[in-house]
Amino acid sequence: MVRLITHNLLACHAKDCNTNNFPLAFKDVQLEIREAEFNPEFLRGFLPKLEWTALVDTAKQLGDTSLPVEQPEMLDDEFLKNLHHVLLEIHVEEGSMTCPNCGHVYPILNGIPNMLLAEHEIG
Amino acid sequence: MPRYLVQFAQAHNDFRLPELQSIGELLGISVTLPSDLESRDPMRPVMVIDLEVEEHARLLARRCILIKAVYEFYAQGFTYAELHEANKLSQPSWARYIEDTSFRFLVTSSQHKIPQARQKEVIESFSYMGFLGKIDMKNPEINLICFEEYDDRHKTTRVRHEGDGEFREVFFGRLLEEGSARQLIAKFDVKKRAYYGNTSMESEISLLMANQTLASPGKFIYDPFMGTGSMSYPTSHFGALIVGSDIDGRQMRGKGKTPGVIRAATQYGTASRIIDLATFDVTHNPWRCGELFDAIVTDPPYGVRAGAKRLGRKKELPDYKKELCLQHTLNGRPDDQPYIPPTKPYELSHLAADLVVLGRYLLKPNGRLVFFLPTVTDEYEEVDIHTMLCEGMEVIANSLQDFGSWGRRLVTIRKTTLEKYPPPSFDPTPEIDANSHIPAHKDFREKYFQGFKSKTDEFNDGASLSDP
Repeated sequence: MVRLITHNLLACHAKDCNTNNFPLAFKDVQLEIREAEFNPEFLRGFLPKLEWTALVDTAKQLGDTSLPVEQPEMLDDEFLKNLHHVLLEIHVEEGSMTCPNCGHVYPILNGIPNMLLAEHEIG
Repeated sequence: MPRYLVQFAQAHNDFRLPELQSIGELLGISVTLPSDLESRDPMRPVMVIDLEVEEHARLLARRCILIKAVYEFYAQGFTYAELHEANKLSQPSWARYIEDTSFRFLVTSSQHKIPQARQKEVIESFSYMGFLGKIDMKNPEINLICFEEYDDRHKTTRVRHEGDGEFREVFFGRLLEEGSARQLIAKFDVKKRAYYGNTSMESEISLLMANQTLASPGKFIYDPFMGTGSMSYPTSHFGALIVGSDIDGRQMRGKGKTPGVIRAATQYGTASRIIDLATFDVTHNPWRCGELFDAIVTDPPYGVRAGAKRLGRKKELPDYKKELCLQHTLNGRPDDQPYIPPTKPYELSHLAADLVVLGRYLLKPNGRLVFFLPTVTDEYEEVDIHTMLCEGMEVIANSLQDFGSWGRRLVTIRKTTLEKYPPPSFDPTPEIDANSHIPAHKDFREKYFQGFKSKTDEFNDGASLSDP
């Protein structure tokens, strides 16, 4: 778990950390690949919600270069299959995510990220 | 339009119609309820509804947890004379079975047992239908059912067969399909689950909640109080993709390397649909943007088994202590890891109101927020639910599960607005002025542990104490 679909939706939410707080940078990751059901309808519907550059860069960082730098206009089957793999089949099991702005480190343990804020980080 | 007879399971009466309507909406089936109030009273065990085609009745029976069976409707009456008269007019519907169809004829009822002798008498009274096919009690081609509806005499003592024949109304039809979704109740039985906790939701109710969310393949659903994941199993069973969060990760993890929620989902074959679990306080959440989810479904902690918590402190610390804490957090001792931030109670009426505003932000237009709200039976008023609503969010169902002095209401709210709203602030709502309505679920925990004394009781108690 911590799949890239979720990673693409999470931003640092510490107090006063409002700019440059996304995407969180993976560090010391252990990956697992697990098969998921392919649902092109879901992917098409989700596309507008994605931050494309962040997704491509993060995937590259984790060793997957199957996605084009620019989001294509034509959503063919091959593209959707690659997108499916990147979004739903790559699991970050261990490691951490670091905020590029404030440096807060969110540790990932057994696939579950701890995104609780410390007392001084809440408003 | 063709008419169908729906026989409900004898449970959760208040949930019957919301479920029927939700599944109708999900499957694109137009369900027309009877126009008169008495016939669409959800407390009655059967209801005659209009559907476009027979297949729709079957689809409903395969997905609605509270449907026991569906029938092609032939006739109803307050007496057998009326029933037969109506049934003769329905002849075009059953004439095709006269010639050569094996059949079985059953006379049944709710809340009552009909003596064999009278069953036989009733069956014989239908002889004018002139069915020529073979009578087959094991594998008939069709089942004809005559259903007598008796008033609920639950918990009253009565002699055997007392009041036999004094039914409220009698219905007649042909069985189409028995409700197969009810089998899921056993499948999701908490006792047989690989991982559960003391706050896990019972299987039947969690299935009803899943149906209220319109869970189906490709739907994206969020549970902000994930706990042991009770809501994620039935929703993922119906094909939805689930994301869960909780302020306390231990409930989701359990013991062992693989999180408990994933172990249970693996048992149901839906682990790949549990997209992610994350530990955070929903009032300080990391969602980057809104309009993400098709539904939010949750059973928020209401303080009896477990109390809701949010980040913060009950009491503000003096500045020098704050500084000490900050230093401690920044330079944590290695034997004191991981750092666990302080939490404070999250009062239920605030939580409920926040949940609605959060739903408006995180749900896609037309998305649904489905959650349980406990309430004090004597104090509940319709307006309670409306105290937590905000613009753009509309209550579409509100079903009570009654436990006597208290109960819980399954509230379904639809996001009706297309407008984009900013993320909620989760600021503690300013103290309510004396004129505004205080909902019965406010301070539910305190009321529960005081045994739901009414205002007058408290007054009397006070009086007796001051007596010499």
